[in-house]
Amino acid sequence: MNEPMLLDPGMDLTLRPMRYPDFYERYRAAIRNTWTVEEVDLHSDLADLARMSDRERHLINRLVAFFATGDSIVANNLVLNLYQHVNAPEARLYLSRQLFEEAVHVQFYLTLLDTYLPDHDERARAFAAVEHIPSIRAKAEFCFRWIDSLGGLRRLETREDRRAFLLNLICFAACIEGLFFYGAFAYVYWFRSRGLLGGLATGTNWVFRDESMHMEFAFSVVDTVRAEEPGLFDDELGAQVVTMMEEAVAAELAFALDLCGDGDDLGRMSAARMRLYLEYVADRRLARLGLPTRYGSANPFAFMELQDVQELANFFERRVSAYQVGVVGDVTLDEAF
Amino acid sequence: MTTVMTPARRRAAIEEAAARVLIDPENSRVAARLLADEIAEEAAAGGVREFSESVAATHAAGLVQDGLAAFVAEHAAALDALIAPGADDVFEYFGLRTVYDRYLLRHPVTRKVLERPQHFFLRVACGLAGTVAEAEELYRLMAGLSYLPSSPTLFNAGARRPQLSSCFLLDSPRDELESIYERYGQVARLSKYAGGIGISWTRVRSRGSLIRGTNGHSNGIVPWLRTLDASVAAVNQGGRRKGAACVYLEPWHADVEEFLELRDNTGEDARRTHNLNLANWIPDEFMRRVEEDGVWSLFDPKEVPELTDLWGAEFDAAYRAAEAAGRYTGQVRARALYGRMMRTLAQTGNGWMTFKDAANRTSNQTALPANVIHLSNLCTEILEVTGDTETAVCNLGSVNLAAHLSGGDGGDGDGEAAGMDWARLRRTVRTAVRVLDRTIDLGYYPTPEAERANRKWRPVGLGVMGLADVFFALRLPFDSPRARELSARIAEEVALAAYGASAELAEELGAHPAYPDTRAAAGVLHPDHYPDAVPAHPAEWAALRARVAVTGLRNSLLVAIAPTATIASIAGCYECIEPQVSNVFKRETLSGEFLQVNRYLVADLKARGRWTGEVRDAIKRADGSVQDIAEIPGELRTLYRTAWELPQKALIDLAAARQPYIDQGQALNLFMASPTIGKLSSMYAYAWRAGLKTTYYLRSRPATRIAQTTVSPVAEVLPADAVACSLENPEICEACQ
Repeated sequence: MNEPMLLDPGMDLTLRPMRYPDFYERYRAAIRNTWTVEEVDLHSDLADLARMSDRERHLINRLVAFFATGDSIVANNLVLNLYQHVNAPEARLYLSRQLFEEAVHVQFYLTLLDTYLPDHDERARAFAAVEHIPSIRAKAEFCFRWIDSLGGLRRLETREDRRAFLLNLICFAACIEGLFFYGAFAYVYWFRSRGLLGGLATGTNWVFRDESMHMEFAFSVVDTVRAEEPGLFDDELGAQVVTMMEEAVAAELAFALDLCGDGDDLGRMSAARMRLYLEYVADRRLARLGLPTRYGSANPFAFMELQDVQELANFFERRVSAYQVGVVGDVTLDEAF
Repeated sequence: MTTVMTPARRRAAIEEAAARVLIDPENSRVAARLLADEIAEEAAAGGVREFSESVAATHAAGLVQDGLAAFVAEHAAALDALIAPGADDVFEYFGLRTVYDRYLLRHPVTRKVLERPQHFFLRVACGLAGTVAEAEELYRLMAGLSYLPSSPTLFNAGARRPQLSSCFLLDSPRDELESIYERYGQVARLSKYAGGIGISWTRVRSRGSLIRGTNGHSNGIVPWLRTLDASVAAVNQGGRRKGAACVYLEPWHADVEEFLELRDNTGEDARRTHNLNLANWIPDEFMRRVEEDGVWSLFDPKEVPELTDLWGAEFDAAYRAAEAAGRYTGQVRARALYGRMMRTLAQTGNGWMTFKDAANRTSNQTALPANVIHLSNLCTEILEVTGDTETAVCNLGSVNLAAHLSGGDGGDGDGEAAGMDWARLRRTVRTAVRVLDRTIDLGYYPTPEAERANRKWRPVGLGVMGLADVFFALRLPFDSPRARELSARIAEEVALAAYGASAELAEELGAHPAYPDTRAAAGVLHPDHYPDAVPAHPAEWAALRARVAVTGLRNSLLVAIAPTATIASIAGCYECIEPQVSNVFKRETLSGEFLQVNRYLVADLKARGRWTGEVRDAIKRADGSVQDIAEIPGELRTLYRTAWELPQKALIDLAAARQPYIDQGQALNLFMASPTIGKLSSMYAYAWRAGLKTTYYLRSRPATRIAQTTVSPVAEVLPADAVACSLENPEICEACQ
């Protein structure tokens, strides 16, 4: 146990030899996918909003109210907990990048609400949703509880400290980014599959791409810690993860009921189907952590398949997001291509 | 089944079927049929069942011309009888959905459709035809998805303001304030009626140039292009799509480096234009300097105005003289600027490489020194002369090659096709050219500059789509010599038939007014510029040349390969000359997202009993690639490579082999998943040496991707030894080399 480990307390500053080149590659890949809020045209959504039913508008208003605070919460936990304890400079490079991305997401949702809600009072109420809308407040409280679960710990000295850290990390990756956000994205893609809210969907594609990478980074931190300290992630911890996931599913389901009601009047979107979807996603998170699946539900949203395949945009119609920044090399005239 | 369905139930069934096209592409037809029922009901609720009723209703709503309404009323019975029951069955879901969302005429207040898909085709046909027989001929081609006019024609044929042209090419504003603002006005009026804009900015003085009137210094072209950007974004094309423009600049313009940064998403936003597309209009001299790693001089067009209107040897001489006289504002290494162009392409896909000298040298319009091509259009396939008072226009349409296969099934993927039906292809081309020519006279021109140029030159751009379908149906890998031969042969057949049709029209109606000023008038046809080309029909070309010497040509230009994004969707074929990008992908458009699958691959795997859930998941996990899927036989993997997996040299070689028969340009996209400056610079230098006139987007891939939700995860948990391996030897893991 003399080899340095990822969760050792302290402030490792040495990049060479690099212990975790994979983290550094993730950092570089993230930079190549830089996007800015200014590239998203949200105003084109206003016409869609105007012709929506009251039920749909209720759904979208609640959804953007959740977006108003979601990424800020994740950013706070990153600074208060993750950055402190993941002790490798290349991992902290990735987290710094992630923090920037969370900032872009916050800015995106700020711009979204400013655009969607021209009325200043309505706008202020949406930003305060975390205080007064019970379904959103319950999700926030779930997050706060896990932010506080480390009790402001400055150093991970004991095995119990490291287990508490893993729970916090898994909570934010699997339950918050991996479930709350995934649920929210599904509503957006449901609209998108019907040709609605293209601006929101464009930004969501990019947020989704970023969040997918955040989640994968967190899971690879978990993998690394498990490999470095076998036995740390034991059955008891596994049981705690499952309980945590159940709470998250319950909170997200309450949110779905608030958004959709308990009827079937929104067509393919309903709280009953969202339950199956959340369970399906939760099972995938558990499987990723090597835990048995809990629900055995199938994905009810066929439109989510659309997010799994390459896009081919007609450039007359929407901005293509498939480009990389940070291209390298010198002019030569005889390379193979 | 359809009669008992409630609208809500049917909509749900459509969504479900559409989402399941991956499992069985036939679901696309199921969804399309349900949607056709829905459309028919919606139209019937507005009193529209027969074609004549539809035209009466749209006329009453003020949408179509009196002339069309009268023509249809007069021939109502004959026209109504043209539409066969079940005609809508040819549509895939995505195609029909596109027609429904975007093309069918709707009541101005209720927004309900006032025509069915077949009514729409027949309305367009009647809008372009002079007689019932002509209307029938064109309608049959459209209804069979064999030929489709371009979107502006589909949108507006028979309408009160029938702006039918796709593309407008505007000469650079003169280097003065009034001219710049006059161009903004032209751009806005042309955009309003769904035209795509190409505009050069090469004549406008560069940053730091003295402004005599005020004794100040110019801020260069960027602030002007910012205004253009805002103006383009403000004009919505008839409510159907956003305005779009491409700005062309020659690389000797002193502001070229700032120009190349206009689409960056970093840096000062006040110097960015997020809506404009960018293209480089490149003289051979620049590429030669790149090859020899020489110096490149930058000029202020106010000081050296002559370069814009010269090409070939005259340009080279003038450029070198200006350089020798020290009239440049600065000098750079040619390769440094070329590398900057490559970076813009890699980062934005924009900054298209188009070649001034090849375009002018081979154009039928540039026989006289006064007639110069200064730019291409928004999609880099149109190459026409422009001037201060001449805005070039092009009317487009594309033949669906997949519908011209012989034997078998016409490309449905479930039967063997033997080859191309050349005779039918030529008949289609003849009809298409006659219709395109007529379109010139029927069209409404938003500006006098456009009308003047179009009536003088009468250019048309006939293109093709579905080349990849043909290759799949005939089992020709994109990079095989036989594919290259077939693609060139197709281009030759199209060109021969198109020129023949134009000569025939000249015989009936006279040559176009500028004919004496063309190379054709001196006996030179486009393939003559390519002495290495070996035509399949030399005798026919000789006969054509003799015929043209007598009749002249009705059209100065005839062939151009447009990207066909939307009409290929309607036809359900692959776009123009492009390879497939993925065996499974989604199309994003204004009407939503739609799953698409390579139906040829599915048919092949079904025939072998291998279209299983596991294979589908494996293809999705591989992002649409079949290369690493052991269950798929090797020859299918070779055939079904994606654009990302094909050598790009093959795409360029195909384009070069067909170029002798394309008298304008080709919207040639190139694909590179992880571009580097070295690969790109080699690729575009090769394209230039191969004699291509233009290239279009560089397509690349995002560095990271969305986590897949519907694919079952495979081995996502890293085995412990893999982690250990990377920990022990962090720099290079030799065990995996």
